[in-house]
Amino acid sequence: MAQSSQPKVEIAQPNTWVDRYGNYLYAYAMSRLRNTEAASDCVQDTFLAGIKALERFDGSRDIKFWLRGIMHNKIVDQIRKSIKENKVDIDHEDEALLESFWFKYSGITTTNPDPWQFNPRKAYDHSEFWDVFNVCIDKVKEPARQAFVLRMLEDMETEEVCKVMDITPNYLWVLLHRARQQLKVALEEKWTGKDVK
Amino acid sequence: MFTCKQVSHSLSKDDYAKLSLTKRFFLQLHVKLCIFCGQFNRQVMDSQDMCRHFKEYEDTQCSCAYKLKEAKKDDLKALLAAHSVNSAEDG
Repeated sequence: MAQSSQPKVEIAQPNTWVDRYGNYLYAYAMSRLRNTEAASDCVQDTFLAGIKALERFDGSRDIKFWLRGIMHNKIVDQIRKSIKENKVDIDHEDEALLESFWFKYSGITTTNPDPWQFNPRKAYDHSEFWDVFNVCIDKVKEPARQAFVLRMLEDMETEEVCKVMDITPNYLWVLLHRARQQLKVALEEKWTGKDVK
Repeated sequence: MFTCKQVSHSLSKDDYAKLSLTKRFFLQLHVKLCIFCGQFNRQVMDSQDMCRHFKEYEDTQCSCAYKLKEAKKDDLKALLAAHSVNSAEDG
């Protein structure tokens, strides 16, 4: 029996993409790149690549997420480019941590981190919390922020992130630890007390 | 029961939500009981959970924090129109 080639969802025409998906894709790129010019370039490149590849779109999911899939590659390219310009160096403190007996023995970077000053899970229902979260990602310093974006927000495999950043898996784990620490400090500063309403 | 190293190794490789139910059960049991890694692995799991919720949020709500400027939108529209015509002619 012949399979129907009809797409399962409506395919928005490219002339409507800017109004429909422009802000979404721009906000998505900004939360990962933190650079207005790079984020705008990403949106533009995504749309152009989308037009070229449109005939291969099978309509199995919302075109917004298909375009976001294209944008993922553009974001990774931007981060790769930025890392080529500023190679990731292991600082003295991180090197000592990597060499520490406890890290080698247990894979744990700190045995007793301070507990959260507020309950993060209770904040999830507040939409303002996610705007604060978005702003706080910016407080994480490079290269920890780039590691966090690729591994945690772009869901890339450890091996792929290490390849893009040219680092070892152990150092990636340390960078993610730094990112979590800095994000936690920033979130506590901006959010503590606000979820009690 | 997992060792601290196995737990942190699993969490460094995968988001805990993607692990099998059995693995997740033993992982959570470990972070509840372990006096060595204490809060560390619990906070890694919290962080993964938070990122997952953030991604769900940004898929459904358009962030007010960042918006394309109108001038940039106009440029993009013109560019898309030109490229759509070119693609149609090539096709």
